[in-house]
Amino acid sequence: MDRRKFLSLTAAAVVGLSLVPTFKPAFGATKLEEEIQKRLGVQLSQIKESADIKLTAPTIAESGANVPITVESSIPIEQVEHLWIFVDKNPVPWIADVKLTPMNGQVFLSTRIKMGETSNVRAILKLKDGSYVMATKEVKVTAGGCG
Amino acid sequence: MSVGTGILRVPKEAKKGEIIRVQMVITHPMTPARKDPQTGQEVPAHHLTKLDLLFNDKLLSSMNMGAGISANPFIAITLKLEDSGVVKIVYEDNKGGKWEKSAEVKAL
Repeated sequence: MDRRKFLSLTAAAVVGLSLVPTFKPAFGATKLEEEIQKRLGVQLSQIKESADIKLTAPTIAESGANVPITVESSIPIEQVEHLWIFVDKNPVPWIADVKLTPMNGQVFLSTRIKMGETSNVRAILKLKDGSYVMATKEVKVTAGGCG
Repeated sequence: MSVGTGILRVPKEAKKGEIIRVQMVITHPMTPARKDPQTGQEVPAHHLTKLDLLFNDKLLSSMNMGAGISANPFIAITLKLEDSGVVKIVYEDNKGGKWEKSAEVKAL
C-alpha cells in the first residue's frame, strides 16, 4: 500500500466513525421503564392509572433533598400485596417498596424522598389478583437533591 | 447522634381494632455512591436497605429502600391493633449495620 492510498483510507475511516450515530436511549423514560420491568416484571404501559390511590406530594418542592410524600388508598388492604414508589427522572428511579399484609389495616405509607429534578412521582400497587394500579403526581423541583 | 439511632413513636394506648400510626426517624446519611467534588475520590454508598416492622414478633411489613430516601429517613406506616403488645422495627444498612427499636402499645 502506498502512502497516498493509506492516507485516503484512514481519512475515510475517521470520517465514517464520527458519522456513526450514537444510539443512546433517552435518559428519563427508558430508565424508568427498564427499572419497572426489572422490579415488577410488567411493562409500564400495562399499568392502569387509578383514582383509588391518593398520592400526596407538594406541587413545588423547596428542596429536592427532602420531598414529603404520602400514599393512601381506599382499596381494602386484603386485596393489596405490595407498594412501590418511583421517581421518573432520578438516576435510580426506584425509591422504595413495601410488602403489606392485612395487619396493616389500610394502605398507608408516608416518607421523605430525594428528587434530582422536576418529574413525576409514581405509586404503584400490586393487587392480590395480579393486576397493577398506579397514581402519578408531578412535583416541580427548584434545587435538585441528588448526590 | 450516631448512625443508626432510631426514634420510634406509637400511641401509648388505643382502642382494640383501631388503626394506629407507627412513625419513625432513623439517623442515617443515606448517601449514594458518588465522586467527592473536592478530591475526586470515589465515596462508597452508605444507606439503609431494609426495614422490617414487627408486632409481637410477627412480621407485618417489610420495606426495601435505596439511596432515594432522604437523609435521616422519616417513615410512617399503619398497624391495626388487635391486642396489646410490642411494636418493633429492625433495620439494616449496606455496610452490615443492624439495629432495632421497640415500643409498647396498650389495647383498651
